[in-house]
Amino acid sequence: MIEITEKDISLDEMMKRARSKDAGATVTFLGTVRDDGIERMELEAFREAALAELEAIREEAVSRFGLKAAEVVHRTGTLAVGESIVAIVCSAAHREEAFSGCRYIIEELKKRVPIWKKEIAGDGERWVGRK
Amino acid sequence: MLVKVLAFASFREILGKERELEIKEAATAKELLEELAQASPRFKEAAFDESGELRDYVLLMINRKRIDPGQDLSRPLHEGDELAVFPPLAGG
Repeated sequence: MIEITEKDISLDEMMKRARSKDAGATVTFLGTVRDDGIERMELEAFREAALAELEAIREEAVSRFGLKAAEVVHRTGTLAVGESIVAIVCSAAHREEAFSGCRYIIEELKKRVPIWKKEIAGDGERWVGRK
Repeated sequence: MLVKVLAFASFREILGKERELEIKEAATAKELLEELAQASPRFKEAAFDESGELRDYVLLMINRKRIDPGQDLSRPLHEGDELAVFPPLAGG
């Protein structure tokens, strides 16, 4: 399942959906808001395009690594330090495929999915990745 | 003809999230961006360099497909097309 949401991410729900009898390994990646001296972070997505790209990446990962399941949930809206930005859960028959699939999804997501972050600190704000 | 412009992140703060624009038939993406720059000095400053070239970090989609500014900017747009303009991605 692919989701872009303003609500908290439930890793438990994602793990439940990814479980299956033929999966012997489940790997989770959780990206969280790091305290770089910021007060909060605002996340914005080009929702329709981001969902389509995430679905494409998910399908690539499933076919390349033979995943049994792949779940991706990305937050938008205002996040405090420590909150979850993105969660990826991949299950496969063996750990190697599950690790590889999870890594593939986060790396491709960063390169291809139209989502942006703005860091807000006491002394100003800045868009991440902007020169 | 009527086209839609979507802007995100720093470009949304300048242009607003969404607007519809009436442009001449078969106008190109470059002409549309130049029209936006004429109407907004802030957008011009953010998106174009001193020589009038689109800055490297400006990313574009037409109808939700990424385009290569080096090649596709001179492609004519069609009625109802959607151009999205945004800075480098920073998800994850």
